[in-house]
Amino acid sequence: MARYLVSQLLQALLVIVFVTLVVAIMLRFSGDPAVAQFQGASAPTTEQLRDIRKALGLDQPFLVQYGHFLGGIVTGNFGTSFRGSTPVRSLIAQAMPPTLLLAFCSLVISLAISLPLGMYAAVHQGRPADHLIRFVSLLGLSFPNFWLGIMLVLVFGVLLRWLPPSGYENAASLVLPSLTIGLILTSTTLRLLRASLLEVLQSQYVTVARSKGLSERTVLYKHALRNTAIPVITFIGLQFGGLIGGVVVVEQVFAWPGLGSLALQAIANRDYPVLQGTVTVLALFVVLVNLLVDLSYGLFDPRVRME
Amino acid sequence: MARMNALLVTAALATTSLSLAQGSTLTVAIAQDPQSWDPIDTFLVAWGSVAHNIFDGLIQRGPDLKLQPGLATKWTYVTPTTLRFTLRQGVKFHDGEPFNAAAVKFSFDRLLGPEGKKGPQQANYNSIKSVKVVNATTVDFLLSQPDPVLLTKLAGYGAMIVPPAYIKSKGDAYFDTHPVGTGPFSFVSYKNGESMRLTAFKGYWGGAPKVANVTYRFIEEPSTRVAELQAGRVDIAAGIPVAQVATIKGDSKLTLQAVPSPTVQSLRLNTSHGPTSDLRVRQALNYAVDRDAIIKSILQGYGSPIAAMQSSKSFGFDPSLKSYPYDPAKAKALLAEAGVKPGTSIGIDFIGTDAVFREVAQAVAGFFQAVGLKADLKPYETNTFYSDIIPKNKTSNAYQMGWGGWTFDFDNTAYLLYHSGQFWNANLKNKQLDALLDKQHTLASQPQRLTLLRQIATMTHDLATDIPLYNQQDLWGVNKRVQGFQAPSDSLLHLQTVSVK
Repeated sequence: MARYLVSQLLQALLVIVFVTLVVAIMLRFSGDPAVAQFQGASAPTTEQLRDIRKALGLDQPFLVQYGHFLGGIVTGNFGTSFRGSTPVRSLIAQAMPPTLLLAFCSLVISLAISLPLGMYAAVHQGRPADHLIRFVSLLGLSFPNFWLGIMLVLVFGVLLRWLPPSGYENAASLVLPSLTIGLILTSTTLRLLRASLLEVLQSQYVTVARSKGLSERTVLYKHALRNTAIPVITFIGLQFGGLIGGVVVVEQVFAWPGLGSLALQAIANRDYPVLQGTVTVLALFVVLVNLLVDLSYGLFDPRVRME
Repeated sequence: MARMNALLVTAALATTSLSLAQGSTLTVAIAQDPQSWDPIDTFLVAWGSVAHNIFDGLIQRGPDLKLQPGLATKWTYVTPTTLRFTLRQGVKFHDGEPFNAAAVKFSFDRLLGPEGKKGPQQANYNSIKSVKVVNATTVDFLLSQPDPVLLTKLAGYGAMIVPPAYIKSKGDAYFDTHPVGTGPFSFVSYKNGESMRLTAFKGYWGGAPKVANVTYRFIEEPSTRVAELQAGRVDIAAGIPVAQVATIKGDSKLTLQAVPSPTVQSLRLNTSHGPTSDLRVRQALNYAVDRDAIIKSILQGYGSPIAAMQSSKSFGFDPSLKSYPYDPAKAKALLAEAGVKPGTSIGIDFIGTDAVFREVAQAVAGFFQAVGLKADLKPYETNTFYSDIIPKNKTSNAYQMGWGGWTFDFDNTAYLLYHSGQFWNANLKNKQLDALLDKQHTLASQPQRLTLLRQIATMTHDLATDIPLYNQQDLWGVNKRVQGFQAPSDSLLHLQTVSVK
């Protein structure tokens, strides 16, 4: 177990170094951050650009810049934003809670809908309810989250005025963005759960369990569900990475001050320290969630051992 | 996290009351968070929209865009290179510090010194050699050369007066996120990417503001800004897209205000290579485009045609200069004369995320095709376009250039766009233009400058260096409960006279 954890952590470290290196290289091929500081009212002169480059440390060789960044990470210091004097660390600390909260609530919403409906559809396979559930989930899959978000804003925020259309003020402002992400996640989770449950329900050990005279309820909850847990959890774990990606778009629609908005802002401003810091933290998240997913296998299937 | 938990508990009770704007609070939604509140660190319109309520300059612009007294009550040129300001008396900063000649000197020493070097503003003021305190209410600006646009710059960005004692004790980094000035509103709180809260400064020299609080919200997505406006949670929203005009007009609680902005849009033509290096081709392309049709259909009328890279509000504007008329037959004849074969491809570069200009580029492509050319549209990402494609002369035959003439003086625009060797001008070299540009740059006489600037505009028109398209209008959505708000042409909001019902 300890060896497994160490190897996983080493892998995680490699992933982060690789991801940040790729980001750092790509950033340097995508225009001059000194110019990005001017977007708006006026244009810089050559002299102004030279001063800014120097002030931002962009006159140093790439490896020196990247080395500074890596060294900073180790000591927990991500540097200072190109725009303004705020340390990147505090920008990330400010943006993390909103994103985590949003991701968590979206996950809860999607599980709360997809688990019962997916099970119901599988148990009632081929009946009208199954068709209806599958149709609706296909519909859900076909909506881009951007569009769904704007529709939810228009209906519940503008037309009915039940909920705030955007912002990060109170629990009510959490509802629409988490519904947007949650509903998109729901469709895929539901279909996956239904399919794997169906497969399990047709397997031999379920037939055996049934023939032993166990109630349908016991068969479903004690035998079948447990065996569908692993693909579903794996899927949710993998989705988490995608979830963060979806969060970027949804945060934009809902003016949600999280990591996604921070990253987008940093890209527009070519704010290297902020973007590299945000990417590092996001990569850490994905690695951590996948680790947790791996560890959770053992809970559901005693045959799985971490070596 | 703690904050959100507390909110979760109270939310169920408070949803309805929180969703309504508070009585004496004015809420303004703008697209961008400037992220830095120090006047010398920024060059963003978004900064001006917010921070002109916190800071004052020596000079300011009135709603008519005319220069008027700010922290200085009057100014005179003692010599062509000595500018004397008489300062307003009895003014205090939000932290109680007195405003005086020492504060002016401190502000400019800071702007022109090492701290200013880290920001984009310093080079705008490098004609100032030093600032000399004459007495507590008089300062002299000693210039290295006459600078005809200095006064107009002092009313804009960068040259705001900042509190010496506060900055010395708290440091520049703290000041950056906790600004203190002499303006009508004082700083309360700022959350990155989210909001800025201000409160009325009772001791404001221009009279106390009419609203108790102002909240700025940074909402990048335009449809979300409009939704918040419709939901009554935002009172004033900047940057309404043309596509949403009908929504605002159809809402009985809202009004739409349209004002000409300093921003003009054109397609610059690459004079250094390809068919557009031929004057006849550049003229042909100008005749080929129906500007009025673009303004009418794509901008829904919220724009006006321009004949040069400046709006009618700009110093140097020449009402007698008219853009090339729409004349496809003449365009075809000129192209034939220049030996351009039908079906020749003309590249049009533009910023892909600019939804309006994307349509404009498509329309222009249509006009080009109508005179027998083939148009090749190339969208770019903003920063790549501005920092790589344009300055390194990697542009196609035609490329988008949106230009915000914030000084309302053609000098800034013309010099950077047409002088050879400038960052923004990688392809045009014309000695005659260079000479004219250099001459007006340091000329003290404004009537002479006006003549020269008009001459420059006429030359660029005749050389067809661009296809000047239109001066766009800024659209603002305003809740009818807001009283006394006039949308500004320069995006600098002045909220001390605004009240809410």
